[in-house]
Amino acid sequence: MDRNNIRNFCIIAHIDHGKSTLADRFLEITHTVPSQKMANQYLDRMELERERGITIKAQAVRMHYSLGEGEEYRLNLIDTPGHVDFSYEVSRSLVACEGAILLVDASQGIEAQTVGNAYLALEGGLTIIPVVNKIDLPAADFEDTAMELADLLGVDSGDVLAVSAKTGEGVEDLLRAVVQEIPPPSGDPELPLRALVFDSTYDVYKGVIAFVRVKEGLVSQGMKALFMATGVKSEINEVGYFSPDMISCQDLEAGDVGYISTGIKDVSRIKVGDTITDQKRQAADLLPGYQEPKPMVFAGVYPIEADDFADLGDALDKLKLSDSALTYNRENSRALGFGFRCGFLGLLHMEIVQERLDREYGLQLVVTSPTVVYEVETRDAEVVFVRNPSDMPDAAALKEVREPYVQATILVPPDYMGNILELVKERRGVYQEMVYLSGRRVEIRCKLPLAEIVVDFYDQLKSRSRGYASLDYEHIGFLPGNLVKLDILINGEPVDAFSAIVDRNHAHDYGKKISQRLRQLIPRQLFDVPVQAAIGGRVVARETIKAKRKDVLSKCYGGDVTRKKKLLEKQKEGKRRMKMVGKVEIPQEAFISALRATREETPK
Amino acid sequence: MRLYIHWPFCVSRCAYCDFNSRVASRELHALYHHALITEIENRSRCIGEERRDLGSLYLGGGTPSIMKGEEVARFLEEVFRYFRRGPGTEVTVEVNPADWCAGDFIQAREGGVNRFSMGVQSLSDDVLAFLGRRHSANQAVEAMRSALASGADVSADLLCALPAAGRLSASDSLSDVLDLGPHHISLYGLTLEKSTPLAKRVELGEVALPGEDEAADEYLALVSTLGERGYEQYEISNFSRPGYESRHNLAYWSREEYLGVGAGAHSLIAERRFSNRSSVLQYIENIKSGGSTLESYEVLNLSERESEEIMLGLRTTAGVREELVGHSVDGLEALGLIVRRLGRIRLTPSGMLVSNTIIAGLLPDVDSLRCA
Repeated sequence: MDRNNIRNFCIIAHIDHGKSTLADRFLEITHTVPSQKMANQYLDRMELERERGITIKAQAVRMHYSLGEGEEYRLNLIDTPGHVDFSYEVSRSLVACEGAILLVDASQGIEAQTVGNAYLALEGGLTIIPVVNKIDLPAADFEDTAMELADLLGVDSGDVLAVSAKTGEGVEDLLRAVVQEIPPPSGDPELPLRALVFDSTYDVYKGVIAFVRVKEGLVSQGMKALFMATGVKSEINEVGYFSPDMISCQDLEAGDVGYISTGIKDVSRIKVGDTITDQKRQAADLLPGYQEPKPMVFAGVYPIEADDFADLGDALDKLKLSDSALTYNRENSRALGFGFRCGFLGLLHMEIVQERLDREYGLQLVVTSPTVVYEVETRDAEVVFVRNPSDMPDAAALKEVREPYVQATILVPPDYMGNILELVKERRGVYQEMVYLSGRRVEIRCKLPLAEIVVDFYDQLKSRSRGYASLDYEHIGFLPGNLVKLDILINGEPVDAFSAIVDRNHAHDYGKKISQRLRQLIPRQLFDVPVQAAIGGRVVARETIKAKRKDVLSKCYGGDVTRKKKLLEKQKEGKRRMKMVGKVEIPQEAFISALRATREETPK
Repeated sequence: MRLYIHWPFCVSRCAYCDFNSRVASRELHALYHHALITEIENRSRCIGEERRDLGSLYLGGGTPSIMKGEEVARFLEEVFRYFRRGPGTEVTVEVNPADWCAGDFIQAREGGVNRFSMGVQSLSDDVLAFLGRRHSANQAVEAMRSALASGADVSADLLCALPAAGRLSASDSLSDVLDLGPHHISLYGLTLEKSTPLAKRVELGEVALPGEDEAADEYLALVSTLGERGYEQYEISNFSRPGYESRHNLAYWSREEYLGVGAGAHSLIAERRFSNRSSVLQYIENIKSGGSTLESYEVLNLSERESEEIMLGLRTTAGVREELVGHSVDGLEALGLIVRRLGRIRLTPSGMLVSNTIIAGLLPDVDSLRCA
């Protein structure tokens, strides 16, 4: 097909603003999926596919569309992840497109992450089609939403399209706009191959499948390919596209979007953002913008049943095949036994991994409070990265502890601005500037320590703005902080699972909270048990679990010894399953509840 | 041999009771009475001649004093046809103070009863009403006097760990009861049994039971009062003037053999523990038809016997042989919860209060035994 008749585009939208529904309408209108086979939200079918035993998720769908006079167009719709954890992946998907539909819910207005992604698209030189969705809803406010969009993009509000993805109203017009406004791809098919990997997935039969946008040259079946960033070499077994099922073809030319399979079994060898070239006729440079995935949030993942440790290891090995950003290393916790310290792109990523371990592998897990990675400089000028608070060097050996910061953008209605500024201050944020986007929304820009976002920031943001505030952020590197390691000691013994790195000024409050929680959760022993929070050797908070005074069966009815015996044997069995911290017996459940309580404060 | 006879009937249920007892008609009483005698006859035949000499007999319930003193005497006469009473046989009957007057005690005494266990519980009318007891404090005092006057040994049951309003009266009740001069006191902490009227009231927040520390302090204070008044503690809940320990109850804790007859009664004979069905109607039916009344039957192996020895022995002030316990008790000793003496260990009063925790820690590990 003539390259001039190809359109590569994506949909930028906040969760629940209707991206999947709109994509479904496109598939229907273009007859890519016959409407009688149309399951709801076809593109969003990971779950469905898994149930059917098909593991491949379409990240890009090819559709055919005729505009008037029989002019045929090939539309490649590229899916983008919608969450801030995956902003690098989003940026790579955007690079695969020439245009984007910016879709906003008429009743919700613009959210911070949408703004963030819109800026990314503008920076990438994409043509943006602003669209207000859900105009069928009674609460829809098309005018105001269109104004906001127009302000954001610097266009006339008259250019904003109105659709209802649900009813199909305006969707044909939108498709026409995609053809008319988004430019066709450029790129010379005669040059050496440069194809951008914008996503990858894993299939048991085909190995790693890479989704690619061919920027220059041509990729064909049988070609000996080189992944330029990683240096991985492999023959290309198959070339094709999704429409919506996998269809293999001879080749993909500059300007086109599709997939390649290589037979490589380890997904971590193929990185999003990498450039594929021909081994025989190599391109000089990789496409710009490649980054290694960097886990930013870490947590200990432990099986509830110690016997499941090996299964957990196997499950992580398998997950890693389709999730190259996940990292994990074995660790041993005194309180929780053997487990893994896992690294995630962010909290959502962590939730997804936890959910998959539970649902796909049936593993019951304890996950410790998430922490960030700290850059620690010691007195002998050594720099180490600390991913687990218990690995923090001795306070005496520390020169400086640096923590990751983010550049945050918060959108909030003016009424709640005060609340949010207060929250930013509480969370050690550095306020930078404030811009009124419209009468409805203020943009607050600030720097925040990532560690503060990791713990319940998002929930607080929502609750202090009645759900109206939204957040976007990008990592800006490490900045020094006034940080200390806080240990929790039970009867004088430190319990690693509860160690944390905290701001010195918050150490007392944090320590008090954890010790109170543990006092409630740890059953009384035969002696008083102090629970202390300490920095180095200095105790900053203390609680006491008073000794158990009464646990007795006072009566032995008519010689019924069996009942009593069973009771005591059960108690004995319970004791056997306790974790010993020094002389203190602690049920695993107490640790789990204490950690859950901490985790509940983190955003979903 | 020791014989326990269960009389499951009550005039009314107390608010805290979840024990095997029921309110029933005289007709059912008669049928049950008949079934009991049949079981006693049958059992006496199969247990072997030497076991027919009675060390003690205990008629418990329920409320056996629903029978008058004279009926009890006649009932015992029947029992003694199958089990032999000697001069030293301890024969106890549980009595509700509401039921008997002086004559009943005398008639029971003449029928061979030499020990009355009186369900006094409290000498505060408010507490008695709260507990759903049928008698007043005055009736309890009267009944105690009559029991003592009959010349038998007398024990009084008292409750502690009562809800706030009753707490002062537990120590008052104890002094008042001790003033009457009983031989023996059983002091039980009120425990909340599921689905009793009391449990419901607590659940609804109408009454609050004392906290752990309060209940523990009260128990220790009562134990010390008892000691000052000459009543030695010989088990977690039992105290007596020297020489008046209940031999029947001691048998349970020292793992002597006993036979229990009647609905829900438990036995330990030849290292077998077994029990009867607790349903009165089924029990009667099974006896009538000559079928088995058994609900459970267990043969105890060596490790189970040793576990029992620890579990039961540590309830008493005699304690257990230290060599029986495979765990170190240094920590418990340092905490003042146990005492070691002459190769035995026993719990202190504070230790008794947490005896479940201690015993559970000292029982042999089930798994390691299984492997061995």
